[in-house]
Amino acid sequence: MLKELEELQRQAEAELSSAKTEGEFLAVRTRYLGRKGLLTRLLRNIGNVEEEKRPLFGMRCNEIKEAISGKIDTALAKLASLRREEVLLRDKVDVTLPGRTHRYGRVHPITRVRQEICSIFAGLGFSVVEGPEVELDYYNFEALNIPKDHPARDMQDTFYIEDNIVLRTHTSPVQIRVMEKQRPPVRILSPGRVYRPDSDISHTPMFHQIEGLLVDKGITFADLKGVLTSFLKQLFGEDTALRFRPSFFPFTEPSAEVDIRCVMCSGSGCRVCGQSGWLEILGSGMVDPEVFKNVAYDPEEVTGFAFGLGLERIAMLKFGISDIRLFFENDRRFLEQF
Amino acid sequence: MLVSWKWLKDFVDIRLTPEELVDRLTMAGLEVESLQENVPSFTGVVVSKILSVRPHPGADKCFICEVTTGDAKYPVVCSAGNIRPGNVVPLAKVGATIPGGYTIRTSKIKGEVSEGMLCSEEELGIGSDASGVMILSEHLSPGADLASALDLKDVVLDIGITPNRADCLSIAGIAREIAAITGSPFSYPRISLPERGEDIHGITSVDILDPDLCPRYSARVIKNVTIAPSPLWLRRRLEAVGMRAINNVVDITNYVMMELGQPLHAFDHRFLEEGRIVVRRSRAEEKFTSLDEKERVLRPDTIMICDGVKPVAIGGVMGGLNSEVKEDTETILLESAYFDPSSIRKSAKWLGMNTDAAFRFGRGVDPEGVIRALDRAAQLMAEIAGGTVCKGHIDQYPKKVETAGRIPLRIERVNDILGTRIGEAEITETLKRIGMLIEKEQEGHYRVTPPTYRVDITREIDLIEEVARLHGYDCIPVTIPPVSVKPVIRDSREVAKDRIREILRGSGYSEVITYSFISPSAVDCLLLRADDARRNLVKIENPLTEDQAVMRTTLIYSLLETMKKNANVGCTDLKVFEIGRVFFQRREGELPCEKEQLGCLLTGMRSDHLWSSKTYADFFDLKGCVENIFDSLKISEIRFMHDYRETFLHPGKSCGIFIGDQPVGYAGEVHPDVLVKMDLKNRAYVLEIDLELLLRNFKDVTLYRELPRFPMVLRDVAFVVDEGLHAAGVIDLAMSAGKELLENVSVFDIYSGKSVPHGRKSLGLRFTYRASDRTLTDDEVNVLHNKIVKSVVEKTGAKIRGEEH
Repeated sequence: MLKELEELQRQAEAELSSAKTEGEFLAVRTRYLGRKGLLTRLLRNIGNVEEEKRPLFGMRCNEIKEAISGKIDTALAKLASLRREEVLLRDKVDVTLPGRTHRYGRVHPITRVRQEICSIFAGLGFSVVEGPEVELDYYNFEALNIPKDHPARDMQDTFYIEDNIVLRTHTSPVQIRVMEKQRPPVRILSPGRVYRPDSDISHTPMFHQIEGLLVDKGITFADLKGVLTSFLKQLFGEDTALRFRPSFFPFTEPSAEVDIRCVMCSGSGCRVCGQSGWLEILGSGMVDPEVFKNVAYDPEEVTGFAFGLGLERIAMLKFGISDIRLFFENDRRFLEQF
Repeated sequence: MLVSWKWLKDFVDIRLTPEELVDRLTMAGLEVESLQENVPSFTGVVVSKILSVRPHPGADKCFICEVTTGDAKYPVVCSAGNIRPGNVVPLAKVGATIPGGYTIRTSKIKGEVSEGMLCSEEELGIGSDASGVMILSEHLSPGADLASALDLKDVVLDIGITPNRADCLSIAGIAREIAAITGSPFSYPRISLPERGEDIHGITSVDILDPDLCPRYSARVIKNVTIAPSPLWLRRRLEAVGMRAINNVVDITNYVMMELGQPLHAFDHRFLEEGRIVVRRSRAEEKFTSLDEKERVLRPDTIMICDGVKPVAIGGVMGGLNSEVKEDTETILLESAYFDPSSIRKSAKWLGMNTDAAFRFGRGVDPEGVIRALDRAAQLMAEIAGGTVCKGHIDQYPKKVETAGRIPLRIERVNDILGTRIGEAEITETLKRIGMLIEKEQEGHYRVTPPTYRVDITREIDLIEEVARLHGYDCIPVTIPPVSVKPVIRDSREVAKDRIREILRGSGYSEVITYSFISPSAVDCLLLRADDARRNLVKIENPLTEDQAVMRTTLIYSLLETMKKNANVGCTDLKVFEIGRVFFQRREGELPCEKEQLGCLLTGMRSDHLWSSKTYADFFDLKGCVENIFDSLKISEIRFMHDYRETFLHPGKSCGIFIGDQPVGYAGEVHPDVLVKMDLKNRAYVLEIDLELLLRNFKDVTLYRELPRFPMVLRDVAFVVDEGLHAAGVIDLAMSAGKELLENVSVFDIYSGKSVPHGRKSLGLRFTYRASDRTLTDDEVNVLHNKIVKSVVEKTGAKIRGEEH
């Protein structure tokens, strides 16, 4: 009988290992463990076993029953899980389709550059002020030491509203407006739109400048160099080489044009820098004593420096844009690159 | 200004390469904008001598020449009639290349062998003379390379001269500067004048009637000149600096102007009535025909150069047609004068004639350089045009031109301004190098007199700049001024604007920047009423184009134009915003009122993903973005009022935006008529908000409110109300009936159609109840809720959906 039992186990296990479907597993269960199953029948016939072997036989019967039953349960659970996966897979998405989102918008590249510059100067103690875009001739020119008919007026063409009212040609008039209202020390930055009647690949009739002004006791040209060097290195990178060279602005003296090493060719000469290896970045200088007199500051008492730069130029260099007009065409395909 | 290297070397010895010079000049404030090598555009052309010339047997107009290059002889067929045996001429040998891409080959011309080509100036690209073979100086030796024999190579610098440096508007001026920078000596051209014959005072006279406009006028008379083309060297120099050669006399005046910076004028003396010069201011409405054959009406106070009867030139600007040098001119009256710079600038501007002469007079010539230029030109007219320089010159100088002198200079001040420690000796030496006269007053105190050509130097600060420039900006230290102890507080307006940008960016709007000027017709396009304040346009006197002729009073037009431009390139879905100013005209003489506005435009699909959603954006997308902005700026009293009307918006789908009772802007769909006027195809939604008013209500303060500790209870109810009834009105009613336990009422459904009577709509509202100190019971909520619903029903005539019967 015991031998028969062992044989039964072998048989059952063989059948289990070849079973694949749920039905086959259930059939095995019925065949061996069911009410009329082979194992059940053997156990029912335990009376035919010799008395002293009965406990052993009973124990083996139970062990085998549990082994078979366990294997069947495991197999069935595995099958069920596979089936569920199959069902889930039928609910599959195409992960290569674009994600569903509201696309985020972009800040205009000019705004981006302006924000960056303002935050650099905030760290140097400069606060932002604004002035009118339609400006009196006095603030745009005369107070800045550019009298009527002065040759320096040839430097910039001007949009006129009336004889004495212009669209400001630079952000410099803000210097005067601030100094008229505030006693030194002054540390300001003034970004904004400016206007000149010019239109081609490198000029638009409207563009943006940032003006800076620092006035205090004992401010020197060396300070001008220090502040602008620090600024340009933060803007273009610590390794940026720069040079200060003499220039002329009616409202500063001595005046300096500041160049950086060409960002395109690193100085070897290219189309962007006109083969010179240098790029003009900003104009600057020590505030002219005449300007101080116009705002009732005593030039023997305080000194200062001013600077101005064009945001489009910076943005063009930073982003590699060659046509300034793109900034104001507002083509979505352009805007979405920033 | 274009400057020839070779010309510079007449005045100063340059021991630098052109590249080094470019760098030195640039770093001294004379920015070199470009450097160009002028090399001949031919190769293989040599000097040759004609041995014989005989007619070509087979061709009427041709000659066969035998030419020698010293070591070899060549037969050359030539058709020019100007060659004679003994002439020294350029020979393009076989293998030579000449401009136009031609290579010379051995050829047979009607049976005769030709081994080369005799060239004209024009064929060699040297000059414009194409009349015959170029005849060279007999001193040139045959066989020599033509380019070196004629010294044709040159380097031309283009230097940007700043408006203050009038003294650098000449070759000599630049040379003076190079001498100062490099330490080489500078010298003017040597002038030797062979004066002969009659005295000038017997021939002419000069009367200055208005010395304020013309403080100095000098003249010479040169007789017996022969008008002809200038020699090659002179023409080439003029061309190198960008001037066109005309004839020897005119070229000489231009040459001396370029060389010394003093404009000159040559009159044909025979056309001067009474043979004399009178300088006066123009009369009212005076007319005059200038050299360029244009009749011009002069502004009052124009300087007129006249003869005994009539004007013959606009002083300092341009000569007159009536006294121009002609082919048969024999006697020249040469003018060298000093005119009032301001008057010249005004006249040149008025006449639109920014001539080389006016440019230089306008910036200020050297009042003491007048005679040098006069003599230099007279000398050249004798040498080149064969003229006889009459004895003496006229120099009317009734009013001394004041130049700055004895400017005080403090050594300490120099270093205080520059942040340097430049020694006294270096400072004084530097100033001496540029021709300044230095007098020491006491230790550290000097008086400095600049040369008369440095009209830009009048003050101590001007001297300091010169010291800085020549000391070298590179050598000035780099320091950081102490940062002020006062902290920088970011302007709250800036903060708010950046926050608005953030919110809009997150909502999918991209920032645009459009021109502040628009077309005057914009206000009509937008159908603005005749009395609309936005018709108070600020007009630009000199716009570039008519569609940029006025300053805008609204951002909407620019945004619609942006939409159109994008539609034209296929971008019909657009979400954009702009922060910019608008301008309103005030009284004449007063600055316009400038206001900063926010404008948004939305058009096309709600989402880019056509596969997922094909819905079009509408009014509520735009409104949602307004709500977000107000929310982020912590402004809660926002209201949307339908009865606020903009003519350019859809009357049914637009509203005014209010903070409390104050209108701050509007939002809505663009009126279909406006779309038609602007040739736009798709619906668009726009908003414009006055940022000044918005930001006035912005407080950059965030205060935490404790989270609720007890649960909420929800009740939904659908009211069937008149279609015209606003949701906000119903919600306000409910809220005011609900007191403190009703936390919120929100819309969860809007429905009209089947099962709702015509002319009515179902408004589904969700009521949220909550107490701050306990959990509400169902009964408590039911009692309150029923009361509120009843009150709404009574006040609005609403029915409860599902209970209509």
